[in-house]
Amino acid sequence: MIERNHGVRRLVAWCAAGGVVAVLMAGCGSPGRAGAADRSSAAAGTLAVVATTPQVADFVRNIGGGDVTVHQIIKPGVDPHEYEPTPADMQAIGAAKLVVKSGVGIEKWLDPTIEAAGYQGAVVDASQGVTLRTGDPGDEEMVDGDPHIWHNPLNAKIMVQDIEKGLAGAAPARSGVFAKNLAEYSATLDKLDADNLAAFAKLPADQRKLVTNHDAFGYYIDRYQLQFVGSVIPSLDTSAELSTQQLTDLVAKIKATGTKAIFTESSLPPKTAEAIAQQAGCKVIGGPDALYGDSLGPAGSPGATYLGAEEHNTQTIVTALSGN
Amino acid sequence: MAAVALRFSGAAVGYRGAAVLRDVDLELPAGQVLALVGPNGAGKSTLIKAALGLAQVVTGTAEVLGSSPVRARGETGYVPQLDVLDPDFPVSAQQVVLMGRYRHISWWRPTGRTDRQLAAEALDRVGLADRARTRFGVLSGGQRQRVLIARALVARPRLLLLDEPLNGVDATSQMTILTVLSDLAAAGTAVVVSTHDLTLARDIADVVCLLNGRQWAAGPPQQTLTAERLREAYGGHTVILPDGRDMLVEL
Amino acid sequence: MSALFLEPFQAPFMTRALIELVLLALICGPIGVFVFIRRLSFVADALTHTIFPGVVIGFAAGGLDGIFVGALIAGLVTAALLTLLTRRAELTDDASTAVLLTAMFAIGVVLVSRQSSYTSDLTAFLFGRILTVTPRQLGETAALAVLILGLLAVGGRAFLFRAFDPGGAAAAGLHIGRLDLWLNVIIALVVVAAVRAVGTVLVIALLIVPAAAARLLTDRLGDMVIAGTALTAGAGYLGLVISWSASVGYGIRLTSASAVVLVLVLAYLLLLPAGLRRRRRAVPR
Repeated sequence: MIERNHGVRRLVAWCAAGGVVAVLMAGCGSPGRAGAADRSSAAAGTLAVVATTPQVADFVRNIGGGDVTVHQIIKPGVDPHEYEPTPADMQAIGAAKLVVKSGVGIEKWLDPTIEAAGYQGAVVDASQGVTLRTGDPGDEEMVDGDPHIWHNPLNAKIMVQDIEKGLAGAAPARSGVFAKNLAEYSATLDKLDADNLAAFAKLPADQRKLVTNHDAFGYYIDRYQLQFVGSVIPSLDTSAELSTQQLTDLVAKIKATGTKAIFTESSLPPKTAEAIAQQAGCKVIGGPDALYGDSLGPAGSPGATYLGAEEHNTQTIVTALSGN
Repeated sequence: MAAVALRFSGAAVGYRGAAVLRDVDLELPAGQVLALVGPNGAGKSTLIKAALGLAQVVTGTAEVLGSSPVRARGETGYVPQLDVLDPDFPVSAQQVVLMGRYRHISWWRPTGRTDRQLAAEALDRVGLADRARTRFGVLSGGQRQRVLIARALVARPRLLLLDEPLNGVDATSQMTILTVLSDLAAAGTAVVVSTHDLTLARDIADVVCLLNGRQWAAGPPQQTLTAERLREAYGGHTVILPDGRDMLVEL
Repeated sequence: MSALFLEPFQAPFMTRALIELVLLALICGPIGVFVFIRRLSFVADALTHTIFPGVVIGFAAGGLDGIFVGALIAGLVTAALLTLLTRRAELTDDASTAVLLTAMFAIGVVLVSRQSSYTSDLTAFLFGRILTVTPRQLGETAALAVLILGLLAVGGRAFLFRAFDPGGAAAAGLHIGRLDLWLNVIIALVVVAAVRAVGTVLVIALLIVPAAAARLLTDRLGDMVIAGTALTAGAGYLGLVISWSASVGYGIRLTSASAVVLVLVLAYLLLLPAGLRRRRRAVPR
């Protein structure tokens, strides 16, 4: 029996046919349809801006108002440290007039992405001008400093100033509008800061202790002069786990300082925090009340905007620590 | 041109310094057929592999076509046992036979028309010219054996070693194989065949070697395949099959 | 509808991704067939795990570029070790391969846990970043393709003979140990090359699935190579199209590498009945 290779010939024929059909359809198709369903294309007349983190995206929306269309790369709750850009993200970057990043080494993936997308415009580093605090010197990620600068409203003011400068540079015709928006938003940031100070003033000094999932609140703690007992996950990397010794040390520290509550964050699992709470005998604030450390909340939740998230954080911390 | 194609003197053969077969003393002149007789595990395959440089000569000497086994490889042909080959392998009969030519093609040359022609001729010699493009694994046992013989022939060996070539082979293929072997011998090629079929040994061999952990006898069939010698070497483990063939059974 | 199949590739980064996948198809097609006939699928999988400590050390020593060199060294060391371990056996020794795989991967995990921050670039290495492949990386892949295909052109005959009949090959004067080492080295090179695009976790799919699918279609070696290469290239193209449409059209996040592998597996499943029919038709004797 002589075998005939129907199989391979059929496969090659299908590939060739597929190729021919694709080319034919390309010829017949309308060339101008550059993705009507493309969500990242900017609405007519607005400035196309790509922002990396939810916080920065929120800032851009507030400063740019109706004059910008923002494509936000990192969705709420997603870890910004490691991210694989999707085709939609890259297409948005390629078509953008301005790219805004949070900076301080959070978006290590951004530079190769920008290069691959072929974007050659300006990149706004919102952290420019912010005094950075150094974190744990042994941590690889601390090479550039602690990146969670936005938790101090005064830093947020600097960030939105940088953003306004960038927007004005990309669309000079509308710089007046941007300047106005900046003034309004800066005022709300000042109010946020004042409210936070007032809230902590009501708390007795020896109760202002913070134990959270993740060493993300350094700037917040410095601003409002809280005491940092220790974080459940010592390094700023969200994937590291505690060793037994580290666990024992932390429980001892908590018991010694008499903290009433420990806080978990929205983007991290609460199981580790619960284990410690049981051993140290304190409250665990997590789940829907969790603090917003790395990210913002999903659309519709109180933490969906920067202001909402920061207000929620302060309220939650003060309420828990005052023993209610 | 060496008159003696194969010679073992006081040899013990095995692997990694451990001997599997001892006291081997034999001589095979060119153009003659040697039958290595013994049941499974007797050491026949090991002896053949020693002649190819694939097994160790632990003591004594082995001489193949006037030189060492490894150096004689260019002129020795090998037909291995069928059951070690994967029946699903995606290779045609012609491709298998072509493998016999590889040694003679420089590494930078692709296989050419001459090579394919030689392969076709070899296939024709074993009666399988019309099966060149058939997948090897689809062929019958006897046909596969013939393809492997063709593979060995394409390099025009002066010594041909076949390991159990008639195992599981149908009668037609057996006849073809035996004819090819005797033609080869007549043309001057020395042939070594291992088998546990005593009738086959009696029919084709010029020299018979009785093996069973050691060499028990070597010489013409009339002298070696006697009842006395066989009992000595194998202790009454011969069996006569319904078709009248004498076989050696496993110990 | 036409837009669906051609529009994605108007973006230069998509075209580069496609070129990288086609180059990988040219490499993994033929090599995958040899992995198949030599039954080295497990060895190839082991290689994707054993390069992990090399990745960690390379990253610690030299950042992103260090990863490639580290992986390469680890891959070559593994190839040598595996060749030694399996020298005596006719078939690969699964147990010793598994020991080597788990040992080296565990070493990698220990090394990694001693570092404070490591995930970002290592995740890229485990899962690939095909959309950010640079022209320079394309050049490197192309050079590797030329090298590997050249090695195959020279050694293909010997590899085939050894795969089919190791005893006969040895008798014909081929050095089995050297050939096995060469093939393992080539597989290691292919793994390191493909890792940047699709990551270690998925490179094994490129080496195994197309050849297995091709075997369902044909039992001729040359045709297997063609079919395997065509399948990989086709899956690369379709995977990119699907990933693009999901992301740009519907906002669904589906990484290109996963899409490619899913298409390959789907192709295999669709071809399975054809293969079973062939098997039943091919009655021996």
